[in-house]
Amino acid sequence: MVIDCHAHLSGDHTGITRIWGKSDAALIAAADRVGIDVSCASILTTALPAPLADFQECNRQTAAATRQFPGKVRGYCYVNPGYTREALHEIRTYVEEHGFMGIKLYNEYPCTDPILFPIVELAIELGVPILQHASHQHRPIPSQPNISDSGDLAVLAARYPEAMLICAHIGGGGDWEWTIKAARNSPNVYLDTSGSVFDSGMVQMAVRVVGAERVLFGCDTSFTAGIGKIRAAQLTGEQRALIMGGNMARILSQRRA
Amino acid sequence: MLIDTHVYVGHWGFRPLPWRGADGLLRAMDAHGIEQAWVSSASAILYRNSHAGNEELHAEARGHGDRLVPFAVINPTYADWEHDLAVCHEEFGCRGVRLYPPYHRYTLGDSACHDLVAAAIARNLVISVPHWVEDDRERSWLLAQPGVTPVADMAALAQAHPDGRFVFHYGIGYTETALGRRGGVQAGYGLDIARLPVFVKEELPRLLAEIGPERLVFGSGMPLTPADVPLFKLEVLDAPAAVKEQIRWQNARRLLGGGV
Repeated sequence: MVIDCHAHLSGDHTGITRIWGKSDAALIAAADRVGIDVSCASILTTALPAPLADFQECNRQTAAATRQFPGKVRGYCYVNPGYTREALHEIRTYVEEHGFMGIKLYNEYPCTDPILFPIVELAIELGVPILQHASHQHRPIPSQPNISDSGDLAVLAARYPEAMLICAHIGGGGDWEWTIKAARNSPNVYLDTSGSVFDSGMVQMAVRVVGAERVLFGCDTSFTAGIGKIRAAQLTGEQRALIMGGNMARILSQRRA
Repeated sequence: MLIDTHVYVGHWGFRPLPWRGADGLLRAMDAHGIEQAWVSSASAILYRNSHAGNEELHAEARGHGDRLVPFAVINPTYADWEHDLAVCHEEFGCRGVRLYPPYHRYTLGDSACHDLVAAAIARNLVISVPHWVEDDRERSWLLAQPGVTPVADMAALAQAHPDGRFVFHYGIGYTETALGRRGGVQAGYGLDIARLPVFVKEELPRLLAEIGPERLVFGSGMPLTPADVPLFKLEVLDAPAAVKEQIRWQNARRLLGGGV
C-alpha cells in the first residue's frame, strides 16, 4: 500500500481554505493516477497565522473529505498552537470522533516554543504523529520568521522521546543535506520526502543517514516529483516498501483513539 | 528513442553528483534508454575561466560523438570569449552554447549576452539556458545573489533573436510569457519538461493545448536531477503516443538539425 504522508486538499474554494489549484476530486484523481492508495491530508488556511475560526473550518472540511473519499483520505488536524485550549479541543475531537490520523503544524511558532508542548503531550496520549512544516535555508525567510527546521525537531524530540515527529518535505526547498544530518540522532524524527525538489541523491542520503525506517514517502501535491525521486533512488525492495507505506502504516497503527 | 537536451559531466561545487565523467553518463543514459544527450560541463559554471570546463568536456566526450552532443559554456563577460566560442565550435564540435547569467554576472538582456547569442546564431549553434542549476532555496551562504534566470528574460531573449534556436531548461511559468503563447516567439525553441507540472497547476497539459507539442522537449538535468522525474511525467501525461514521441526525441532532433 502506497501512503502519501504529506498531502493537502483544497476544501470548498470559498476563501478560507488554501487552494492548490484543483478541486479535491482532481487532487485525489491525480493521487490515483500516480499510484497513491492513501493520502494523509490537511487543509490549510489562506490567512496566516491561522485564525481560530479558519483552522476550525479547515478541519471541518478535512473531515468531510474523509467521508467523501473513504479509505483514500486520512485527516491531519491543523491547528495554530497559539490558541492552546481550542487547539487541544480540536485535536481531541477530530482524532477521537472523526478518525483523524495526526496533527499538522505550520509556521506560526517554532516547534521548540513551549506553547507547543501541550499539543505534543496530547499527540503522545492519542498515539498520533505531528507533521511539522520545516525548512533549513542559509538566509532568513522573511515570509516565515518562525519556521522550524530539523534541528528544532531534534530538540523537541529529545524532550519528548515518545512523540512521533515528521519533519516535513526534505524536498520542499532548502539545504536538504543539512536537514538530513540534523535529524541523524533523533530516532523519533521521521523525514518526509515530499516537495518539488528532486535532486539526485536526496532520498538515498536520507536512507543512509537516518535509516529507511525513518523515511516516509510524501508528495505535498508535487506528484510526479514525489514518485520520480523515489524511483530514482537506488534502494532495496525492502527499503522501498518501508518508505512507500510500511513506515507510515506502522505509525498509523499506534493511534490509540 | 529518447534525446535528453540537458545533461552534464564534471563537478558542481556545492554537492557531490552521482558521476563526473562520460562513463557514468553513458551508463545512466543506457539505464534510462537515452540515445543522445546534449552535454555541457558542470564545472564550467563555477570556474572563473569557463573554457577550462569546455576543454574537460571535450576530453570526456571525444570518441562518443554518436551519443554525446557537446554544448559549450561561454561567459560573454570574460576575456577572449570569442576565441573560446570559435574553439568550441570549430575544434570541439560543439552544437550549442549553454548560458549561466547569474553565475557569470550578467543578464540575458545585457548587450554582451546579445553579442554572444548573435555570434552563436551566426555559427548555427543552439542556445541553451537553464532557469537555475539548483532550487534557489538551497543556495550556499557563499552566493549573495539568486542563481535564477527568469523565464520572462528567456522569452525576451528569444523574441530579440527571431533567427535563433533556443532550448530552455528547468523552467516553470512559461504560460505567463510569450514562450507559452502560440506565435508569441518567432524563433525556434524548445521547453524541457523537467519541472513542468502535469497535475495541480497542469502547466504541461496547458502548454500542449496552447502552443502544441512541437515546442516541448525532454530534458533531465542529469546528474543534478534524475531522468526518472521527466520520464514519469511522460508516463502519466494524458496525451497520444505520437505526441509523447515528439517530446521524447523528434522535436529535439529537429531543433538541433536546424528546424524550428
